[in-house]
Amino acid sequence: MTSLSLSNVKKHFGRVEVIRGVDLSVDDGEFVVFVGPSGCGKSTLLRMISGLEDISAGVLRIGDRIVNEVPPARRGVAMVFQSYALYPHLNVRDNMGFGLKVRKVPVDERARRVGEAARTLKLESLLDRLPRELSGGQRQRVAIGRAIVGNPEVFLFDEPLSNLDAELRVHMRSEIASLHKRLGSTMIYVTHDQIEAMTLADKIVVLRDGLVEQVGTPRELYERPDNLFVAQFIGSPKMNILPIGSVAGALPAHPYRASHVGMRPEDLELTDPGSGLVSGRVLLSEYTGASSLLHVELPDGEVFLVAYDSQMIDADTTVGLTIAPDRLHFFDVAGRRAN
Amino acid sequence: MTGFLTQRRMRLLNQVCWTVALCVAAIPFVFPFFWMVSSGFKSAAEIFGSPSLVPREWQWRNFIEVFNHQPFARQYFNSLYIAVTVTVLTLVVSSLAGYALARMRFAGAALIALLLVTALMVPEEVTIIPNFFMMRWAGLVDTHWPLILLPTFGSQGIMATFLMRQYFLALPKELEDAGKMDGLSRLGVWWSIALPMSRPALAAVAIITFLNSWNLFLEPLIFVSSLEKFTLPLALSNFTDPYGMPLWHLQLAATSLAVIPILVVYLIAQRQIIESFALSGVKG
Repeated sequence: MTSLSLSNVKKHFGRVEVIRGVDLSVDDGEFVVFVGPSGCGKSTLLRMISGLEDISAGVLRIGDRIVNEVPPARRGVAMVFQSYALYPHLNVRDNMGFGLKVRKVPVDERARRVGEAARTLKLESLLDRLPRELSGGQRQRVAIGRAIVGNPEVFLFDEPLSNLDAELRVHMRSEIASLHKRLGSTMIYVTHDQIEAMTLADKIVVLRDGLVEQVGTPRELYERPDNLFVAQFIGSPKMNILPIGSVAGALPAHPYRASHVGMRPEDLELTDPGSGLVSGRVLLSEYTGASSLLHVELPDGEVFLVAYDSQMIDADTTVGLTIAPDRLHFFDVAGRRAN
Repeated sequence: MTGFLTQRRMRLLNQVCWTVALCVAAIPFVFPFFWMVSSGFKSAAEIFGSPSLVPREWQWRNFIEVFNHQPFARQYFNSLYIAVTVTVLTLVVSSLAGYALARMRFAGAALIALLLVTALMVPEEVTIIPNFFMMRWAGLVDTHWPLILLPTFGSQGIMATFLMRQYFLALPKELEDAGKMDGLSRLGVWWSIALPMSRPALAAVAIITFLNSWNLFLEPLIFVSSLEKFTLPLALSNFTDPYGMPLWHLQLAATSLAVIPILVVYLIAQRQIIESFALSGVKG
């Protein structure tokens, strides 16, 4: 059983504090995804778990052990890097078996484990090739294979798909998901891609400025964001936010401390001008295939995004917007959820 | 079709012009070498006679005389073993020091790098006198130690360290992280990852160091006085008659023999030599 927990974990580089006290627990076999804007500390946190960065304060437990001072190779973790980090002078077989060789695993056992991982990842025909002779997707599979052969208790992925093209990314995403299902290992995955986060995660951790903003399942984060930041960060296109005063008259009953109201573009519906919650002028209609994204300018100059799946609407058309009351999100002055 | 032929003919003409131009440009470089080898086969009288490109009579015994005139075989061996030792030592020291300066965070790292660059600007001639006193104090005058220690830890070693540092700086850090995740120590990362990936830089350092040590003249002149401890550059200048006048036929025959290792190295590692000069910014 390999759970993992962080208690008030901090990291500073000189005077700059990049992780400002993170508490988190990851259950055995869970797939946890760290998301957040650039510079929020998600990769640093992952590197602290791996042992590549020291922990300035707090406690990190993997299983029953406190591993703050344990070197990376003895933590029972394996890491897949963004740039794959394959050794360019070694072929696929030696790349995958390198860690085992360093740990003095006997040659037979090494060959068996490399063969097994190669079969799992369909790499058997590539074992004698050098990394430069592989495609991006194949390199990524080798990097995952290198992680698998060590039988780690926890897998760490640092934006592993960000160097791949869109099609390959979708394919590799499903491969990672099926790998998780097959191995049942604990996995921690850093990404800035929301689709990756939403599709892969059992649990998403949203980080901002070195602090955890919210931890929850993808559905919880999408449907009940704890604060304005998470509300706008999760979901694409992002949630529309209005000061409550600008639509107070048209709103149904709402919490008294609410200062802002949020509406997801996909929850809004078009209605006749003047009959909905707000009215506005269509500035732009972006056709994306399955639906269109309308940019609607409200009278106060705010631009609302509306996902719309019927026929095209011409620019300059005035439309009304409405929404089911249970799809409204209210936030207080401090940005915390109010309903 | 006509256009195609014209284009092909133009390309051929272009190629011929370039080849001819390069051959002409090579004459000033090739001619002295050719003259040296050719004169090595001439008699002393013919060298000072009417100039000729090919010897009238091939004096093979010049090459035997070279070994009788002084302990040339021993001196040849001295140069070889000193150059190889200096090269191996420089590779070890410069790659370790370069790696530390590029990758390890420690107090004063930047200052040390700055001192190294500063030391590169001091000509060796300036430090030769203090070095001589230091070696005399250590009892190493008229031994080969100064010829090994000074290039390894002097300006050539510093140049090599700086070159290795620059190369290590450009190596992706994620590879080192991967090595650490695989269980390598710092020294293990250096040995198993950084070094194999730095072959071009190591080749550059090896070639430059070997050539420098092979051609070293000032240090042997200052530190070595026994004939059997001479290295080749000193030995070459020692082919003189009792009045101190150079014996050109012997000197040029010996010089022809002295360039053999360099030629062999060049023929084996042409590509690496060109790359190494490009990498180090040193003119060939």
